[in-house]
Amino acid sequence: MSSTPNTPPHLSPKMKMADAINQYHSLLTVLPRLGFPLGFGEKSVEQLCEEHRVSLPLFTLIVRVYCLEDYFPTASELQQCRMADILQYLVSSHKDYLENKLPHIEHHLNKLLEPMDRKYSTLITNFYAEFRKEMEKHFQYEEEVIFPYLRQILSEQEATESATYQKNAFHQQHDDIEDTLNDLTNLLLKYIPAEISPVERVDMLLDMYALSNDIAKHAMMENRILVPYIQLLESKRHD
Amino acid sequence: MTKIAIAEPSTMLRIGLEQLLRELPDAEVVFSTDNLGALYARINALHPDILIVNPLLFDYAKRSTLRAEFDQLPNLRLVGLVTAYLESQHQRQFAGIIELNDDFQRIKSTLNQVSNNFQSDSDEPDTDPLSDREKDVLVCLSKGLKNNEIADELNISVHTVITHRKNIVRKTGIKSVAALTVYAILNNLIEEKDII
Repeated sequence: MSSTPNTPPHLSPKMKMADAINQYHSLLTVLPRLGFPLGFGEKSVEQLCEEHRVSLPLFTLIVRVYCLEDYFPTASELQQCRMADILQYLVSSHKDYLENKLPHIEHHLNKLLEPMDRKYSTLITNFYAEFRKEMEKHFQYEEEVIFPYLRQILSEQEATESATYQKNAFHQQHDDIEDTLNDLTNLLLKYIPAEISPVERVDMLLDMYALSNDIAKHAMMENRILVPYIQLLESKRHD
Repeated sequence: MTKIAIAEPSTMLRIGLEQLLRELPDAEVVFSTDNLGALYARINALHPDILIVNPLLFDYAKRSTLRAEFDQLPNLRLVGLVTAYLESQHQRQFAGIIELNDDFQRIKSTLNQVSNNFQSDSDEPDTDPLSDREKDVLVCLSKGLKNNEIADELNISVHTVITHRKNIVRKTGIKSVAALTVYAILNNLIEEKDII
């Protein structure tokens, strides 16, 4: 299939899932959140979506967000997806961060800081703990305030002023989380003495860059998919 | 690098302008669009420095309060892309105006003028370590002092404190006071017992 601005090169529903992953590694984090187990043999993207009852338009949307830097969905691409499916994906991403990604990083961080003077290492673990709390709080706010609110406007089809306010709230919080993760990365990369766990530190930094990239994509899902979706619904209502 | 966005209803004009701007060495077109919905969605995600916008995209009533549409982006500069007669009170909304008949030279100089104010934040990587004064400011920050308290303590203006803080963030790549405090302790600029 030819490469148009909105389609990652060489990616189509008929493509083998394994080929897609080999080409775009970062998609690997997406699969478990959608309930795709590995070991799918030669099956195509389309076949697997059908088998696991994952909406193909949603999967395509996520792939575009992950693989295209500048992607913004068109109205028709958005309309092919159900808001409920998007929200479900976001919630399961939150779960993945809290249950898998963060404990993994935490474990490695503790290990690599072991050789360090406790006086210094506690500073970093405390900073990490604050970061984790910030993330938990942000996810909780989305799941307990924003998402239920969206489900409500979806069902009632009525907009209020506070919708605008909450859309803007997304942004600031994502920026904060990405900034804090970036601060932590720089501390580990630049300012911890050279002799502290050199091998583990490289692994740890690679994990952190991957997490940071994934969180940036997660923020894009919310800023570029969810927010325009709400705007679309609102504009329809005004017609 | 100056980030530019274009909002222009005419496809020919929009794509033509985008092509032209590609030749600018220190500018990048982050997106272009022909409709308001996409404009609002993208501008919040991509934070351009300059928005080149045709006022005709907006209802007549909104054209005199155009700046207010982008209130949440205080650093955004608006450049009007004027293809029809525009009243002078509407023109005042813009930091610069590009007209249909402007040649490339003229467009370049308009954009340069508009972006001049933020050219001072250089994109060059800064490999200098922190200066002594920056370290002083960092120590005060770690102790939990606010900008005005730091100014008093070091006998400098609040404006200078802010400049030092910007330089600290640029050099270390660290934004939060909490992480800067960790930096200060790791580098023995401050003892742990000194922080509150």
